[in-house]
Amino acid sequence: MKLQTTAETISFVKELEEKSAKFYEDVFRKYSKDEDVLLTFAGENKKYFTQIQRAYYSVISDAIEGCYAFKLNSDDYEFETALAEDATYSDALAKAIEIEEKILDFYHVAAYQSMSLMADIPRNFKIVAKKRKNRIPTLESLG
Amino acid sequence: MAILEEPIKGVPKIKNYVDGEWVESKGEVMDVVNPLTCETIAQVGISTREEIDDAIQAAKEAYVDWRRTPPVARCRYLLRLGQLLEENFEELSRVQTQEHGKTIDESRGETRRGIENVEVACGIPTLMQGASAEDIASGIDEYLMRVPLGVFGIISPFNFPFMIPLWSAPYAVATGNTVVIKPTEQCPISQSKLAELVDEAGFPPGVWNVVNGEKTVVNGMLEHPDIKGITFVGSTPTGRDVIFPKCGATGKRSIVQCGASNMMVVMPDCNVRGTVPALMTSFFGNAGQRCLAGQNLIVVGEDDGFYNEFMEAVTATAKEIIIGNGLDESVQMGPVKDVQKKERILGYIESGLKDGATLRLDGRKPNVVGGYPDTCFLGPTIMENVRPEMRVVTEEIFGPTMGVIRTKDLDEAIQICNDNPYHNADAIFTSSGKDARKFQYEVNCGSIGINIGIVAPMAFFPFSGMSGSFYGILHTQGKEAVRFFTESKVCIHRWI
Repeated sequence: MKLQTTAETISFVKELEEKSAKFYEDVFRKYSKDEDVLLTFAGENKKYFTQIQRAYYSVISDAIEGCYAFKLNSDDYEFETALAEDATYSDALAKAIEIEEKILDFYHVAAYQSMSLMADIPRNFKIVAKKRKNRIPTLESLG
Repeated sequence: MAILEEPIKGVPKIKNYVDGEWVESKGEVMDVVNPLTCETIAQVGISTREEIDDAIQAAKEAYVDWRRTPPVARCRYLLRLGQLLEENFEELSRVQTQEHGKTIDESRGETRRGIENVEVACGIPTLMQGASAEDIASGIDEYLMRVPLGVFGIISPFNFPFMIPLWSAPYAVATGNTVVIKPTEQCPISQSKLAELVDEAGFPPGVWNVVNGEKTVVNGMLEHPDIKGITFVGSTPTGRDVIFPKCGATGKRSIVQCGASNMMVVMPDCNVRGTVPALMTSFFGNAGQRCLAGQNLIVVGEDDGFYNEFMEAVTATAKEIIIGNGLDESVQMGPVKDVQKKERILGYIESGLKDGATLRLDGRKPNVVGGYPDTCFLGPTIMENVRPEMRVVTEEIFGPTMGVIRTKDLDEAIQICNDNPYHNADAIFTSSGKDARKFQYEVNCGSIGINIGIVAPMAFFPFSGMSGSFYGILHTQGKEAVRFFTESKVCIHRWI
């Protein structure tokens, strides 16, 4: 699905963050490992969405191209969260890395495409991308 | 994407807010219609002369104590209002979409720009400071104070039902005046919701009043001796022929902001990738219903290659605009406000065609997503071969249309801008600083855009406009609003 307006892109951020937060919670529930990392990630996701949403509400203007800011395709950032019955913890971590890479890619593209909006919006996409980038080495170190 | 929930349920009766009370009008009742579905979403009373007189009297009585309230204390009411506006941001925005039809991004933008005026007005202890000079003669000092005047009337249009009264009201009350707001009878719910928050913020009764209605309310304000001034936003015929002269005749100060037929000038050296979306917002944002909208696109130069390529990009993008329910977050353009407005816009398109314009993109039969009736919908319409003397250029259309004019050079484009009867907001798209500067210097209009399609001044700048689009001296917003809502009082003193 195409994402063109700022409103639908912000809603998509919510979807991404909630879906990946749920994934981390499910992984912890299933394997009971690395609580400090997995549940911290899940909690951070909610904060990231709040941060992006706050930036949007703070600077949205009908005078800037809010309805035409993005040329994204949500299909490019969709990810599967279900784990096979016999999936190992290592499989789950590998999936987590895949998810993080997708989300990271989304934030980079969204930041680039929203440059014509008020600076707070691309800036916060970049800030969240930067913070999330650190997750990949952390996930790689687990298991 | 899911469709956002509608905040207005049932068919509420919109009441007046007078002297801190919610009062049902004794006048006729009018339906408030959602242009998306053409269903009645509220009813509003059309207030009588007696009702507007009562509101003005309440405001006059409240003024006595309110002007004595220290500016810093008056600001605290506004700070509380600002906080409540933030807390209710989403509901206020969805109300605008439901009663007006605009997209949710546009409504949220409108809410934000309204709140920004409340924020700026919170600086009133500094903004309304006067000046002083010691020893203007031996032992004599002189100082200037900015003092409030009394009751002000605020008359607002349908296209920005939440924001436009906030170009005036926060400054009026912050400076110690009291206000009576007449919202548009077509979209009165936003102002009713705002008044609920004013009430919750604890403003003293009578400081902020809302009286719904039509001409009787307007005439009541214009003729009442206790109204010291009026801010008006609406059509040029009403502003020029009724509001401005009547204010002059009755000794009221006025800010009269009117119609427009804005020019977007495109130079061959523009950044096409950045210009096209800016033009979409300019011409088709808010379904073209705004005084800052582009109405005419002037493409400069005789290079057919650039013209064709550029118009191809513009047309292709306009064609893809998603039209439908503004509460669907993927929608980029909502309906126009009502059938009469749609018919009027269609009339202008016909007029353009009759005068020799040709259709590059025909929006008269739009594809509305979601299966809604197309009763109030129009798609983007692009007319080429438009000439400056056509009615589609010399009159305000107020709809999602783009009339394309070609000129041989920038001088000719500037001449067209300056010859137009309206002088609200023109813009140039170019990568040349020299051409941008020439345009900014030579074009006579209130707001100039350089690579900006909607030249909407921030709350701390005046919402400018010039002849044909504006009557008065000072403008709404920022420091000019503070000047408008205060009188300069000078005191010269000597202690003998």
